[in-house]
Order: sequence, then C-alpha cells, then structure tokens
Amino acid sequence: MDVQPGEFEEEIKRLQRCINDLVSLLALPAMWSSGEPSQIVDTMLDALLRMLQLDLVYIRLKGQGSQAPIETVRFAGSQEHRARTHDFGAVLKHWLEADPLRWPPLMPKPIGDGDLSIVPLGLGLHGDIGVIVAGSERADFPQQTERLILTVAANQASIGLQRARFLSEQKDVASELDRRVARRTAELAAANQELRQEIADRKRAEEFHRVVVETASDAVVSIDHRGQILLANHATGRIFGYEPSELIGQPLTILMPEYLRDSHKVGFKRYQETGVRHINWQGTELFGLRKNGEEFPVEVSFGELHSNGRPVFTGFIRDISGRKKADEALRASERELSLIIETIPGLVWCAAPDGELNYLNQRLLDYTGTSPDAWARSGWTNFLHPDDAESTARAWAHAVATGQPHEVQCRLRRFDGVYRWFQVLGQAAHDSGGKVTRWYGLLIDVDERKNMEETLRNGQARLSRAIQTATVGEFAAAIAHEVNQPLAAVVTNGQACLRWLAAQPPGMAKAQEAAERIVRDGKEAGEVVRRIRALFKQSAIENVELDLNEIIGEVLHLLSGETARRRVAVETDLGQDLAPVVGDRVQLQQVVFNLILNGIEAMDSVVDRPKKLFVGSKRPSPETVLVEVRDSGTGLKDPGRIFEAFFTTKDNGMGMGLAICRSIIDAHHGRLWAANSEGPGATFSFTLPVQAGAAS
Amino acid sequence: MKSDDPVVLVVDDDHRVREALSSLISSAGLQVAAFGSAAEFLEFARPDVPGCLVLDLQLPGASGLELQQQLLAKDTPPIVFISGHADIPSSVRAMKAGAVEFLQKPFDDQELLRAIHAAIDQDRNAREKRAELAELQRRYNLLTRREREVLPFVVAGFANKQTGADLGAAEITIGVHRGQIMRKMGAKSLADLVRMSDRLGIAPTARPA
Repeated sequence: MDVQPGEFEEEIKRLQRCINDLVSLLALPAMWSSGEPSQIVDTMLDALLRMLQLDLVYIRLKGQGSQAPIETVRFAGSQEHRARTHDFGAVLKHWLEADPLRWPPLMPKPIGDGDLSIVPLGLGLHGDIGVIVAGSERADFPQQTERLILTVAANQASIGLQRARFLSEQKDVASELDRRVARRTAELAAANQELRQEIADRKRAEEFHRVVVETASDAVVSIDHRGQILLANHATGRIFGYEPSELIGQPLTILMPEYLRDSHKVGFKRYQETGVRHINWQGTELFGLRKNGEEFPVEVSFGELHSNGRPVFTGFIRDISGRKKADEALRASERELSLIIETIPGLVWCAAPDGELNYLNQRLLDYTGTSPDAWARSGWTNFLHPDDAESTARAWAHAVATGQPHEVQCRLRRFDGVYRWFQVLGQAAHDSGGKVTRWYGLLIDVDERKNMEETLRNGQARLSRAIQTATVGEFAAAIAHEVNQPLAAVVTNGQACLRWLAAQPPGMAKAQEAAERIVRDGKEAGEVVRRIRALFKQSAIENVELDLNEIIGEVLHLLSGETARRRVAVETDLGQDLAPVVGDRVQLQQVVFNLILNGIEAMDSVVDRPKKLFVGSKRPSPETVLVEVRDSGTGLKDPGRIFEAFFTTKDNGMGMGLAICRSIIDAHHGRLWAANSEGPGATFSFTLPVQAGAAS
Repeated sequence: MKSDDPVVLVVDDDHRVREALSSLISSAGLQVAAFGSAAEFLEFARPDVPGCLVLDLQLPGASGLELQQQLLAKDTPPIVFISGHADIPSSVRAMKAGAVEFLQKPFDDQELLRAIHAAIDQDRNAREKRAELAELQRRYNLLTRREREVLPFVVAGFANKQTGADLGAAEITIGVHRGQIMRKMGAKSLADLVRMSDRLGIAPTARPA
C-alpha cells in the first residue's frame, strides 16, 4: 500500500482508535450479565454509533417461535427518530430475508434526500438471530477498520444474544420445572389432606358409634360365629347386672334363662349352616336372665356383619319389664274403669262424634229392660216419653253440631212401662286438635226431686198468699205504733200540763212547755196519718216543687235528739247547685227519714270506732239529683235483698221500711239502691229526676 | 232535796214520750232521770235512794224485757212497764219477772203515778229490809267461831247443859257464850234472837227425836 508520512501518522491513530474500539467492544459482554437482549442491543448500538460516527444503526432480532421480531434503530444526533424504527424497518423489509451479503451498498435515507452507505451484518450462524445494519452518509464507508469493528461487534452481539437466548431458555425450563414441582406438591398435599380428612371422619364415625352404643339405653351385645360375646356396652351391664368386661368371651347363653339356651344353640347353628332363621330378628319378645338369677322380659333385634370373612352378630336388647308393668297397669285401670261404669249408680252411655250411641251400661239396659240391639233397632228416642222425644232429640242434635255440653230433662220409660224423669248430661271428649272424639253421657234419676219441686211450688204459692194476709195485720200494727207514740206523748203532756196548772203555786212555765209539746206532737201525729193515707192512695200524691236539701235539713233537725242520744256525729255535704224536684213532700221526707234513721240504728252495736253518719246531696248530671246516706255501721250482708218486704235485720223491725222507701222512689221515677261502703258501713243512695225545665 | 228523795228512772226510745213522761212525773214532785236506751241506763251511776224504773217494752238494742232480766240479779228498783202495743205474752213475762205494773200507751196519769208511788214504796221497804239485814249481818260478823256454833242450839231451845254435852263444853261456858251472843246481836229476848237468826237464814239445830 502506498502511504504518505502524514497519512501514516493518521493511519496509526486510526489503527490505535480501532484497537481501542475493539477493546471496548470486547469489554461490552461484561455489562450483559443480566442476559437481557434489549440491554445487549442498546449498549451495542450506542457503542457502534459513537465509535463509527454512524448516521444510523439498526438491529432486528428474529422473534422466537410466535414472538414478533424486535427492531431497534439509532440515529446520530437527535433521538427523535427512535419512534420511526418501524418505518425504517419497513424500508429494509424487502431485503431483510435476503442474505446480507447480497444487500446493495446504498439505500435511500429514511429522512431527507440522498443515499446512505450501508453495511448489513448477519447475527448468529447464517443470520439466524437477526441482522444489524450500519449506515453512514460518508461515501468511503465502510473503511477496513470500520468493517472490522462492525464484524467484531456483530460477533460479540451474536454471542451475547445467543447466550441470552440460551439463558432465557434455561430460565424457562427451570421455571417450568418449578411449576411442575409446585403443581405436584399441591396435588400431593391435597391428596394428603383428603386422606387425613378421611381418617378423621372415620375416627369420628367410630367415636360416634361407640358413643351411641355406650350411651344407648338398650343393651348392645356382639357375638362371634361361636356365640361368644365380643363386645357388650354399659347398658348391658346395667340391665343384666354384669360388668361389661365380665361378659367378654362368655357364651351369649349366659344372658338367657336355662330353658331358652338349647333352642338358641340349635337355632344359631342351623342359621349358620343353612341361613334359616328360627326367630324373627326384629323386635322379638324373649326373656333375659340377670346375674342375680332374675328373669325379665326383653325385646331383641339382631343384625349380622361380616368381618374378615367371619360373621359378627350384634343384638339390641331392651328391658321391657317396665313397659309390661305399664301395660298391665293400663289394663287394670281399664278393667277398673269398666267396673266403675258398670257399678256407678247412674245410667251411662257413650256416643260417636256423629251422635250415634255406641255404648250403654248394664244399668241402663236393665232399667229399660232391653239389649243394645234393641236400642240400635228402634232408636233411642222411642224410649222417651212421647212429649219429650222431639225436644230431647233437638237438644242432642244441637250438642252434636256444636260440641257444647248436652243437658236436658226428659222422661225415660222403665222396663215396666213407667216413665221417670231423668237429668241427661252429655260431655264431649276432644282430641288435641279440639275435634270431638267421643261423647260421654250420664242419666240421673231426678223423678223424686221433680215431684218435690212441684210440691214446693204449690207450697210457695200458698205461702205468698199467707204473707199477703199477714201484711195487712202487721202493717196495721205498725201504723198503730206510729200514731200511738205521738198520741201517748200528747196525752201525757196534756196531763202534765193540767197538773202543772193545778199545782200550788202553778208551774206556768212548765205547763206552757207541755202545751207546746202537745201542739208539736199532735201535728206530727197528723202528719203520720196524712202520710199513711198518701201511702195507701197513690193518686193523692202531691206534686209540688221540692228542695231536697230542705227536706234533709228538716229530717236531720227532727232526728237531732236521736243522734245526740246515740252519740252519732252527723256530717253533711249538701250541694248548692241542686235543682228542685217534683214530688210529695211527706213521702220524700219519709224516705230521707227512714234512710237516716236506718243509718243511725245500724251503728247501735258499734263501740270500737266513732259513729259517723254522712248525708250528702249533689247533681251528678243536669237531669238528676243524688242523695247519699252513709253510716259507719256493720254493713250489709245482703245488699240485694234488703229492699224486699219483710226482710229485716232488726229484732223488732217488720222489714217494711225500705220496701216502702223503694216504692216511693219508684213512684217518683227515681232509683234507690244500697251498697257496702269502701270503709265500714253501708251507703244508701237515691236519685230523682230534676223538674222538667229546671234541667237547663 | 233530802238524801232519800226518790228518783224515777225513765227508759223510752221515743223522745216525745220521754219528754212528756219527765214533765208529768216531775209535776208530781218526783226527781226524774230519762234515758233513750237500756245501754244508756246501765251506764248511769244510780244514786243510792229509793226509786223506780219506768221502762218502755220496745227499746232499740236490748229490749225492755231483756233489760229486766239483766237487772234481776242486782238490787234493782221495781219496774213499771209501758208499751205502745202490749201483747199478752210480753206482759205476762214482765209481771212474772216482778214488774209492778204494765201500762199501755196512752196511759192515765193517775194510774201511772199510782204505780210509780207503789213501786217507790216497794223499793223503800225493800231498801229498809236490806238495811236491816245488813245490820244483822254486821252484828253476826262480830260473833266468834265458837259463838256461831252455839247460836243454832240456843235458837232451837236447847238447854245449856245439853248444848255443852253436844259440843263437849262445860254448861257454865255455854252460858257465857249465850250471854255474849245476846249482847252482840242486840237481842232483847230469845224470841228476838230467833227472829234474827231466821232473817239471817241460820237453821236451828234439830232436836233429837
């Protein structure tokens, strides 16, 4: 080669730079420890662009398998063209599959005008990794050193990429392996868990069965093919009186009475030989034998199970001696009941819910002199008195329809044709749902009572006539007494007056007092007469406007001597808003007088508390006035009856006072009643309507 | 008013009758106390003077007849019954139980006052007799035990000798007892002593047959 001295120096520098670049390139793989292809590509392209001052450098890696190819491009100066890698790739496209050696040396610049000198280099053997393309605007590109650098770089990249690919494949294999191992481990763990669960389930089931067997109230005994006991639960011990451990290995026959043992042995043997069962295996009633030799009824059920090719028989044995006793008791009670029904001194019947008679006790049959068939044939109403048949049948139909208790009185024909009165009682028995299940009935002979009632009724009528007659006499006596008292006072006062006048010297003041009393008592006697006349002659009632408070005041004044003498404290609360009532002054006075005097007398026997008499009046509604007389006496034993005539609690009373009072108040369109007070004593109250027109 | 002025007690539940009776009885110069019921009457502290009870047959609470029964046991004044409408059985019972009179209302003042006076006289006599008896009893209480043993022999007419033999004492001793008895009892004679013993209910010793 022909080289100038200056050129020579230049040549040396160029070669030195080339060597430096080559060293740099050879150092690059140290940076590729991660084995990432993108890192390899990036560092390689950057290095080439810088070392060779290229205008562009492009790399394209073939995709592995279905992967898309990876393209990267670098332009000198600006990075803005990176985004156009794909466009550049598209320019190269029709060359890419061709052998790089056959590429043209020039290609149009992807940006701007003119051409680029390009050097394509395959990566890997026959370019199977990809291709790298370096481009420069320089016409002398590539120089020899540049081609060398490019070749070395391509080789370095190939090795690096190949290694990366290999590493990646290795990594894939390793991770695939890991995945497989993990999957298998999970499968094994799951299988293990299932197995454990199964073991636990089985244990639980066994425990459950053990608990069931052990806590069963029935004896559970398992025997082997020889008839020897393999297992016996606690209940077995309890029922038969053995420790369960005592029984293991013993023949089953130990639990049977002597007389059952042979037949058990024979039957057991036959069954094992022929499969023929000599007894029912479910709920058979047999007898067991306790350790103490006691025999008792049992109910036995068997089951058979094969274990290791040998049969195991398990029996469930229930002690039914209690049940047997209960059954016996029930039967005894039924016998008792039927005995009671047959001996009860009454006629008993039963009927179906629809009312059809289905049982008659012997007494009923004896009374009627019939058989149950006869009743069924002719119908029960035919045994009744013709006058009672229809009403009784109707009452019974009503009871059957409603389920209500049945109660009638009717005459039932006796065997000799005589009819007697019976009280018929029927009661329905209900099930838990309230449905009638049966009717139970009783017939009670009330013939004598019925006759007695009749006699009594006649007697009552006679008595009431006698009372009416007596009333007149007694009433006359009462009137006589009423008049006689003031009259006696008048006469006595008159005599006293005369005596005072005749005295020496005359007692004028005393005589005058006596004369005044004569006038007073005489008037009172006149009042009494007038009152009595009014009582007997309703039409003579005077209808005048009256102030009840005034009447109360008068009566209290009249009785002030009495209250003082009997040490009765009188308290009044007379309403100021009372409206006038219309009525007869004397009669209403009599009512007030009677009620107050009654109250005073009711407290005669009171010694342990103050004798208090309260008299009140008020107007509870615009239309009525109310008067109350409340004593602190012994109260009323029978508040409902005291207004009846001749009802008296007094030794010398006639029992007419309150009856008359009530008739007076009734005649005045009012109401009179009595009740026991909340404290001691009784309260008598009456209301009267206020005068029409005064209500508002 | 003297200490033995009689008092008439009136029990009647009718205030009118009570007032009239009080007036009438006091017009005859007698003291009157009136009551409305048997209970009131029983509560009353009766003065220790002669008197009588005018009692209504029909009383509230305890009736007149019941009150009469209650009073029988005590030193009761004689009773004059008055009644508004006397029935025969009641009047018979009252009279049998010692009532002085049974009057029906209205009664005559003369009749009533006569009955009251008779009753008061009866009470006065009874009171005198009771006073006499009380005096005798007082004197009898003065006797010694031995003198009380001797008394029945004396009033039976036994000689001192005989009495002494019976009682195991000397004749002369019995004579001393007899003298003491006569003195203490204030008897003027044997006949007087016999009468006194009779009043006191002391039975003479029976003579041997």
